[in-house]
Order: sequence, then C-alpha cells, then structure tokens
Amino acid sequence: MEILSPVWPSGGAVRPPKRRPHTLAGARIALVDDNLDVPFTTRLEELLQERYGAGVRRLVKPSGTAPSPRELIDEAAGCDAAVVGIGL
Amino acid sequence: MDLVSERLSIEDYDEAVELFYERHWTDGLPVVLPTPRRVAAMIEHAGRDPAESLGPVPPKGGEATVEKLAINAVMGGCLPAHFPVVLAAMEAMLDPAHNLNGVLQTTHMCVSLVIVNGPIARELGFNSRDGVFGNGYRANAAVGRAVRLACWNLGGAFPWDTDRSTLSHPAEYAFCIAEEEADNPWPPLHVERGCPPGSDAVTVFACEGPHSVFCYGTPEEMLHVLTDSLCALGNNNVHVLGQTLVVLNPLNAEEFARRGWSKDDVRRYLWEHARRRVADVRACGAIHEQFRKMERDAGRYPLRYDLDNPTTRVPVTARPEDIHIVVAGGRSYFAAVLPGWGGFGGFAVTRPVRR
Repeated sequence: MEILSPVWPSGGAVRPPKRRPHTLAGARIALVDDNLDVPFTTRLEELLQERYGAGVRRLVKPSGTAPSPRELIDEAAGCDAAVVGIGL
Repeated sequence: MDLVSERLSIEDYDEAVELFYERHWTDGLPVVLPTPRRVAAMIEHAGRDPAESLGPVPPKGGEATVEKLAINAVMGGCLPAHFPVVLAAMEAMLDPAHNLNGVLQTTHMCVSLVIVNGPIARELGFNSRDGVFGNGYRANAAVGRAVRLACWNLGGAFPWDTDRSTLSHPAEYAFCIAEEEADNPWPPLHVERGCPPGSDAVTVFACEGPHSVFCYGTPEEMLHVLTDSLCALGNNNVHVLGQTLVVLNPLNAEEFARRGWSKDDVRRYLWEHARRRVADVRACGAIHEQFRKMERDAGRYPLRYDLDNPTTRVPVTARPEDIHIVVAGGRSYFAAVLPGWGGFGGFAVTRPVRR
C-alpha cells in the first residue's frame, strides 16, 4: 500500500552564525525589545552602551508572544550580534 | 490529481501505523492511513487546488497546503464532507489575531477551541448538546483531531521541544464543539460576529478546558455564580485581560430570555460584575504584578484602571465584547467558563465555511 507523508519536507540550508565579536567595545549589537520587560531591556541597553561601549540598535517588537517581523529580523542580522529576546 | 507529497510504500497495515509513531507523525494515538485515494477524495470534495496554501504553520513553518491538510484530515478520521470545516478552522487559526505561534508554545495551557456554527453542524452530525465537550461524535472528534494533527505535523511544536505548555490538557487531541442553534433563543455566535444568518462558519478561540459552573435558577442567581467563576484569581484574564468564553446550556439561555435578558445584557452584566479588587490581585504575588505592569507598559492594558489603588475593581476583559457567549450542552444545571490566555493572544477569529 502507498501512503502520503503528512509533514512539510525539511529543506533549505541553515546559514552558519556570524563570527562572535572579540569585544563588545565598538560592536554593533541589536537589542530586540520584545515588550516583555521594558525597564529590564532599558537597563540592559544602558549597560551595553555605558559599561561595555557597544553601539546598541534597539529594535522594538510589537509583542513578546508573537514572532518578530521580517524587517526586524533582517535589521538585527545586519549587526555584529543580537540579543533576540528575554525569557520569562 | 497531482499530489506532490512524499509517497511511502508499506506492505503491512501494522507496520504503517508503527511508522507514524516512529517518525513522530502522530499525536500519540493511531491514525487512519492517508492513502492517495483517500486524500484525493478529500480534496475533490472541497473543490480546492491541492497546491493552494493557507500559509505557514508556526513555529516551524510547514505550509498548510490543501494537500497537507487533507492528509492530516484523513489521519484524524475525517470524511470528505468534514474537510471544508477543517479548512475554515485552519484559516481562522492562521489569522495573525489568533497568534497561533504563541498559543502553540506558551507555558499556559490554552488550546485553540473550534466552534462550528450553521446548518453544516447539524448536517454533519456535530454534537452541540449533552456532553458537547466530550466523546462519542465523529464530526467533533475527527475535525478537532485533524486540526491538531495539522498543527503537529506542519507546525512541529512538540511537548519535548518548543511546546512549553506547563500542564496542557486533553484538548490537545481534539477540541471541537458546535453551538446549539435550534434550542437557543439568541443569535448564534457567528451571526454576532458578522456572518449572515443561515451561513456556515467556524470560530476559533484559544482557551483552557471547560470549568464547570453549577448554574441554575433565576437570571440573578445564575449571574451571581457565573461572575464568581469568571474572575477566579488563577485565570490569566484577571491579571492580563484578553478574552474569555462562557458556555451556557440551552436551559440557562431559555431562562435568561424568558426573563427578558438578551445575550448582550448577560455579557454586559458579566463584564461589569466579574471583577476583582486590585488588593486581591496583588496578593497573588510579584510575578502577577510584573506581568500586569508589562502589559500596561506595552499599551495593552487600558490606563483607565488605577492599579495603584487597592480598592479599584478590575474587569476580566478590556471590553464587554471580549466575553464570548455560546449556547451548548444539555438542558441541565451546569454551564462552563473557559478562560483565555490573556492579552497575549489566542483571540477569537471567525471564518466562513466554503462548500
């Protein structure tokens, strides 16, 4: 008997991650604000900038419980590293 | 019919069933085997293009093509006549307002409930009466399971992986009811939500399992117990609003209507009275407070409530219309409340059934 697969074929190459920055000083860091804890995210942004000298690009996501819009992901991907969310 | 899914040749029925377990292609129960003949019959009945996609199913993004949905519908036990209901339910679940990505992966126990309205419910034998959330009816079971299997196989949120539901509930196997429209004095859910009277539609809403409400007597007595049940402190709604569902049985609805209460009257009363004092809510602990503040910071919690005042009485939803009311079940003493996920999503979405 013949049966059909119920799953979507997995495919597409996974891109290798970027090389990890040697230092945060001067690095461009995407900080995805997922709206789950705004004061925490703000404090993290301050620390990254003031203590470590990183250049922070804060990207605000409409909701912490829904995926990031494609444009946001693309913008984050253009940085040297990214903080993509805060787990709760 | 041009079906593009991978084909597997299996000699033995038992071997085929076991293959689905080995590949994690089933939810833990055996399936009806999706042969090309069964799948083609499903698609032909719906008159849809097998390649048409309703969109990617989160989180892993498998495309909900008509072909893949038909395969999962066969596996769940659907007849071809059930398939248009499955398609409508999937369309509704994939609407961004439902936030299926979050629903399928949250630590909360919500599951997308499928509510069927219109003549198709009676024609296909969906149960809307005694034991409506229970077993015994093929249409409820097969359509409910087909939708869950589609999420399983195309979305790929597994409980050992990214489905982080802390406890979940048995509705993960199937969660589908019909509204009782014949023994119901009020307009049905889909008509309230903009569909023409007499049309067929499906509404999805992500919620907990039904909480029993001993609800019998005068409208005032019924409302007294319903309001208390709606604002239990364990509900997400008390802390972060969102939407909630009340299921009244036909006898409840008849008694309300006989005393002159419309569905909207009941809804408004529930919204105005199902409230908790901020002091009670605060006593739940810091994490609840933190979530509420997050929602407020994100602009999802209306600022008209003074959360710094312990005597403020906060509602379970931001607006009365976020309390959904459905009539179903036997003519007896019990109603149910099904709290939602809160302001994070799982919101009700209605789609017409195309047949």
